[in-house]
Amino acid sequence: MAPVSQTVRVKVLFFGRLKDVLGHSEEFLDLADASTIEELFALYAARIPELAKYRSSVVASRNEEFASWDTPLRSGDEVAFLPPVSGG
Amino acid sequence: MAAALQDDIFQLVREPIDVGALIRHVRAPGDGAIVTFDGFVRNQSHHRPTLYLDYEAYESMALAKMREIGAQLHEKFAIHCVAIVHRLGRLEIGETSVLIAVSAPHRAAAFDACRFAIDTLKRTVPIWKKEYFEDGAVWADGELPPAPAVTLRVKPAS
Repeated sequence: MAPVSQTVRVKVLFFGRLKDVLGHSEEFLDLADASTIEELFALYAARIPELAKYRSSVVASRNEEFASWDTPLRSGDEVAFLPPVSGG
Repeated sequence: MAAALQDDIFQLVREPIDVGALIRHVRAPGDGAIVTFDGFVRNQSHHRPTLYLDYEAYESMALAKMREIGAQLHEKFAIHCVAIVHRLGRLEIGETSVLIAVSAPHRAAAFDACRFAIDTLKRTVPIWKKEYFEDGAVWADGELPPAPAVTLRVKPAS
């Protein structure tokens, strides 16, 4: 039998200037199992090349905690891409 | 980690912040000092006149990070109570965007804790400010939160 490719469904959120570039703030996406946050961002950068230039000035979160780019994702995870914060 | 006191307040609001009410809230007979930080909208940014600001947040994470700051204050400083309230949406010149009030038996802890709270908020709480000018709008330059560089691969629970 052919191997069944597993996918995970994640919720992806964009804020600030990233939201403006993307045109909306959240969506659900199906990814190959064990995809990382880096790979998720790369999917968006492939779709919207302008996003790529923000890569070095963005941090990511997974389930409301700051997360490194090599974090593997699981089904149900909520990932957010956060530009430099400017509250206060 | 020291638990945040029940009296602590952490809020994101869309209405004007009632500074006086928050100061009264943190005040108790055992205290001797309250230090507040009142951050409000400046009328210019890099010498360009500002019309107004618009704040947005990753609300659930922002509240979680604000509560973390509160817990850190109780760990690090001999304080009684803290209120941290940030406003979202459109704010006009002079309106309070963030209010932090810290009460303590003695002033040094209140000063130190309040300073720590606003400095940490500005680095770690996911809130963003868009500045509106006569000729357009820009997202304010911000600070990149400290994020872990690499994750330790933990075997997923089966």
